[in-house]
Amino acid sequence: MTALPLEPEAGGGRFPGFVATSQIGHWDDATSAVVMARLGLPPDLRFFSPTEEAAARALFDQLLYQREDPRVPIVNMVDARLAENQTDGWHYDSMATDGEAWRSSLSALDEDAYSRHGVSFAVVPWDDQEALLQDVHDATQWHEFSGAHIWSLWTRYACTAFYSHPAAWDEIGFAGPAFPRGYKNIGVNKREPFEVADARPQQDPLRSPGTSGNGGGK
Amino acid sequence: MASVRDRNASAWLLPAGPGTNHGLRDDMRRFDDDDEVDIVIIGCGAGGSTLLQRLARAGWRAVALDAGPFWDPLKDWVSDEAGSHHLYWTEPRVISGADPVPLGSNNSGRGVGGSMVHYAGYTPRFHPSDFHTLSADGVGADWPMEYPDLAPYYEDIEGELPVAGEDWPWGDPHSYPHRPHPVSGNGELFLRGARAAGITAKVGPAAITNGRFGNRPHCIYRGFCLQGCKVNAKASPLITHIPDALNNGAEVRPNSMVTRIGIDENTGKATGVHYSRNGLERFQRARMVAVAGYSIETPRLLLNSVSQRFPDGLCNDFDQVGRYLMVQGAPQTGGRFDSEVRMWKAPPPEVSSEEFYETDPSKPYKRGFSIQTVSPLPITWAEHVTAQGHWGKDLRAYMSDYVHWACLGALCEFLPQAGNRVTLSDEKDRRGMPVAHFSYSQSDNDRQLMKAAQSAMENILRGAGADEVITIQRYAHLVGGARMAADEQHGVVDSDCRSFAVPNLLITDGSVLPTQGSANPALTIMAVTARAADKLIVRTPTGPR
Ligand SMILES: Cc1cc2nc3c(=O)[nH]c(=O)nc-3n(C[C@H](O)[C@H](O)[C@H](O)COP(=O)(O)OP(=O)(O)OC[C@H]3O[C@@H](n4cnc5c(N)ncnc54)[C@H](O)[C@@H]3O)c2cc1C
Ligand code: SF4
Repeated sequence: MTALPLEPEAGGGRFPGFVATSQIGHWDDATSAVVMARLGLPPDLRFFSPTEEAAARALFDQLLYQREDPRVPIVNMVDARLAENQTDGWHYDSMATDGEAWRSSLSALDEDAYSRHGVSFAVVPWDDQEALLQDVHDATQWHEFSGAHIWSLWTRYACTAFYSHPAAWDEIGFAGPAFPRGYKNIGVNKREPFEVADARPQQDPLRSPGTSGNGGGK
Repeated sequence: MASVRDRNASAWLLPAGPGTNHGLRDDMRRFDDDDEVDIVIIGCGAGGSTLLQRLARAGWRAVALDAGPFWDPLKDWVSDEAGSHHLYWTEPRVISGADPVPLGSNNSGRGVGGSMVHYAGYTPRFHPSDFHTLSADGVGADWPMEYPDLAPYYEDIEGELPVAGEDWPWGDPHSYPHRPHPVSGNGELFLRGARAAGITAKVGPAAITNGRFGNRPHCIYRGFCLQGCKVNAKASPLITHIPDALNNGAEVRPNSMVTRIGIDENTGKATGVHYSRNGLERFQRARMVAVAGYSIETPRLLLNSVSQRFPDGLCNDFDQVGRYLMVQGAPQTGGRFDSEVRMWKAPPPEVSSEEFYETDPSKPYKRGFSIQTVSPLPITWAEHVTAQGHWGKDLRAYMSDYVHWACLGALCEFLPQAGNRVTLSDEKDRRGMPVAHFSYSQSDNDRQLMKAAQSAMENILRGAGADEVITIQRYAHLVGGARMAADEQHGVVDSDCRSFAVPNLLITDGSVLPTQGSANPALTIMAVTARAADKLIVRTPTGPR
């Protein structure tokens, strides 16, 4: 996969030429197998219905700001987890198990989209989708869900999939697996020969909070 | 004190370098279900493995059952965050209360080695004050023992893990068998910030080899301690106690989930355990039973073990089972530096401070907190970022800044409360066993500690030069749920981990702790168990039979 598209103002291109998988020769076999599987053909969908799939795709594109290909195939990765019931091992007593909560929250998202825009969430224009989601994020109660609980379910699954992908590591300067070689140069401003320095170390998102319209709440 | 090798040869039984002694496992003694073994232990984690090793050394015919696999670190573990999901206990559990505590990946493990397979590796001792917070401060509980009862066992276990760190000035001052590790960017900034803020911070204590220890290799500073140490540098019972136990004739039976403890309705004594293996229901006979399944599974198993004699669950005549479960409040504060920190490049356990551990009479709250380096990997760091309300484009922008962040975590001593407890849910697991329902609510004191800890961490990070700080509220480390006490009205076991209700039933895991201090619990769990094992062996001078 070539680099994920991301404009500089959103943090793209801070580690020019850095490719985590270029170090694969230094990884152990068990780890390589697990990591490289994420770069292959993504598993077919088994859990989401087509309607749910459409809503989920749009939701993940929004949550992770994936507006064009190549994308990390979040919907397939989350679908596989749900099909295998690979949960985090708990659920709130006020909320269904993860799989059911996914299904009903996606359908609630479509419901909101129909009532505001007359179409399903997937075909609502980008900016309106964003506004719909910001409302879920800000809500105390959203449909039958606690706003915080459903938001945490969505972002946990989305981020676990996205930041497990080597292409996402390239974007943040993280080299991924480190066995058996380990690190030799540890400490402030120390780098391994294969690590790449941040090209724009002053691009502190906290110092310039206006990078986008999303989120930003404290 | 005998040399470590004379007491526990585990590190010398492993192959040199990373790897597993397969011969030892292949040649392991195997008991039949019908053999009445001297003891069957439920769970091969911090407590269970320590008990197994001690009793096997004393000549007991001992078998330990674990619900999870007998790990082969080189094959089964990966140097990858998402790929390590199978290390956690992810069978269903239900959470509730005013402040529900997420379990699973952030909390408990499975398989031989237990939660220490993916624990960070901090191994501080409790302070002497931890053993009598009720008399001293009017909060928490008094243990039926005092610090000096445990001190020799702390020293023994520190030798067996072994622990690396600077001379320790807090609590009962002591030193460690291994020298402190070099620190990474994260530890460096903690030390710098602490100096600027006038706070003492020290390197350690981490149960990670620093130098020669039997055949265990040196740490390679790769930062994946929470994913299981493939190197064999970080201590877990899988490499610190199980090899010696096997070498002394113990059996470890993996993939064996205990569903009920058998009771003789006439004598009220335990007769063995019902367990499920490869889909079959089986029963292992035993003269004695020890429960060591972690603070959630131990109460669940006791509550599920109903009989005519114990209609409300085993050892639950006084409604004590499952109660006084504690978590530590564990806020984590990140600080942003223009320099590159690359905090993931080193074991997360590096530097800690116990400066705020004790009750400070000038403060409105009792007891305190400790501060330690934590070094979240990308998926966990994304949780920090989303907790600030960021998503979409903002999330990607923040994440691209990962190399610039340092992160500290606090452990706040939340107080034990009767209403914080495990009960059985209506929901069942795939075997038909009711799952655990864990309800948790904080007290005022708890909330005040969280705030105080956050501002202390912010001070340190700003002292080190951070221009911005962000905090996420988290929990860590479950203990309690079957606590030790002076009598059966107030707890489930005595100071020797013997249950009050069933003469031949022990509980030897984190469940028995009445309070938790602001120390990570694993070392104390092992020390309490090692002491219980000693008492048991001494009580049975003619050997187990
Ligand atoms: C991310 C993380 C970081 C941590 N970091 C630290 C740290 O730095 N320092 C520290 O001191 N502590 C740390 N801890 C906590 C520490 O690992 C635990 O407190 C400790 O291991 C608990 O010991 P235990 O004996 O009670 O249970 P465990 O070690 O969890 O052992 C219980 C075992 O019992 C088995 N079991 C449960 N039920 C059954 C059953 N019914 N039948 C058969 N087997 C069963 C399980 O599979 C498991 O192997 C951390 C924990 C986590 C999750
Ligand atoms: S950092 Fe060291 S102790 Fe931690 S997992 Fe890596 S080698 Fe093991």
